[in-house]
Amino acid sequence: MKQDLLALFALILLAAVLISGTEVQSVDEYYRTHADEIPPQSETVTLSIRCDSVLRHYDQLDPALRSPEFVPPDGVILPPTRYLLRPGDTVFDILQRAVRQNGIQMEFQGAEKSPFGSVYVQGIHWLYEFSCGPLSGWVYRVDGAFPHYGCSRYTLQNGQTIEWIYTCELGQDVGAEWIGGQPS
Amino acid sequence: MKAFAGLHPAVTMTYFVLLLTVCMFLPHPVLQGQALVCGALTCALLCRRGAARDVGFYLPLFLLVAVTNPLFSHNGVTPLFFLNGNPVTLEALLYGLSLAAMVVGVLLWCKAYNEVMTSDKFLYLFGAVTPKLSLVLSMALRFLPAYRRQARRVSRAQKAMGLYAGSSMVCRVKNRLRVLAAMVTWSLENAMETAASMKARGYGSGKRRTHFSLFRFRPADGAFFAALLLLAAAPLAAAAAGALNFTYYPRLSQLQTTPAAWVAYAAYGLFLLLPAMWEAKEALVWRCCKRKI
Repeated sequence: MKQDLLALFALILLAAVLISGTEVQSVDEYYRTHADEIPPQSETVTLSIRCDSVLRHYDQLDPALRSPEFVPPDGVILPPTRYLLRPGDTVFDILQRAVRQNGIQMEFQGAEKSPFGSVYVQGIHWLYEFSCGPLSGWVYRVDGAFPHYGCSRYTLQNGQTIEWIYTCELGQDVGAEWIGGQPS
Repeated sequence: MKAFAGLHPAVTMTYFVLLLTVCMFLPHPVLQGQALVCGALTCALLCRRGAARDVGFYLPLFLLVAVTNPLFSHNGVTPLFFLNGNPVTLEALLYGLSLAAMVVGVLLWCKAYNEVMTSDKFLYLFGAVTPKLSLVLSMALRFLPAYRRQARRVSRAQKAMGLYAGSSMVCRVKNRLRVLAAMVTWSLENAMETAASMKARGYGSGKRRTHFSLFRFRPADGAFFAALLLLAAAPLAAAAAGALNFTYYPRLSQLQTTPAAWVAYAAYGLFLLLPAMWEAKEALVWRCCKRKI
């Protein structure tokens, strides 16, 4: 009996730890609708999300996604928008804030699960890696250049422009020459 | 369930192979639901005693699989709530239910397979063609039931020696662990002994051997075989024609209600009920015969 009580206590403790580490939010709570106030003189960056390449490779696209609801006809998921830059913000921080403020679906893999020590963005706006052929997925560009490391390790500076782009050809269709070739 | 088990092994084998193929490779909610319900029914008919106890295993398994998927998959257009910044969506939950129905359905039908296709039937079918493979397969398929029997025996022996006789939960878990340790060595030894014993009897020694068996292909077997082929052809043909396409992500697709889809649902339902219907038919015949006496 004493053993049982001990085991029960351990189980309750384990459950308590698990539950305390879990944060449950309602949908409205998560998608805070109001954008940050941007005071003048503050540091900002610009972010846009596009999927033009999917429109050029529509035949490879997963049939379940072939709808203007998931692939906008102009390829723009988020037009260039200014966001407040807080000290130490990475590309991923800005992306996460942007999708939350605009109610865009996004799924990512935490940095602890990646061998590169960075967050990996699996899908934005229901467009996932491999949704449009075996070489497809999300890449990002800062001021026109494709960085060589993960989005949660790229710390941003004032005035930079970030573009999240969906590629269907491992980056070659969006101008990332270095993937699989020589780094530029 | 005597009548279904009394059919020719080739017929029952074809039935289970076709059934498990459709179960595993046609992920369609209607077909999965049918397979789950009919699987439970057939299992209850096949082993009346153990059926109630099995619910205690299959129900938690079903819930576990159903709940696990939405925790790890966040695709889908209908978020219900957010867990640590990740959406838990309705689509992922439904996909989890579908996965759970598939897993539990396949397990139930495998259980029915184990009840009906005993290893002598399996060896009768494949022993002459591929002796080694069929021995390995039949040993693997009977492994779990044999394992459970032996585990109960070991556990009883240990209780008789006065070990872990306490009634507390921890005591029982410790007992199970000790039995498990004993079972690992037993299963290896048992496999080797079975193989050696089969070898000693000249199994698969190269010369073509004859063996005695009571299986005869009767007209009733032929009728059952024709029926199962016809009924299984409908869902397979419908799937090949794209009438059974269904996607969960990112938005649930509409259930198809075309005539082809309805034919497939009905045929598959009948296909799944074949063992139970066969049983009912035999029972009716038996009752008629008794009345005539």
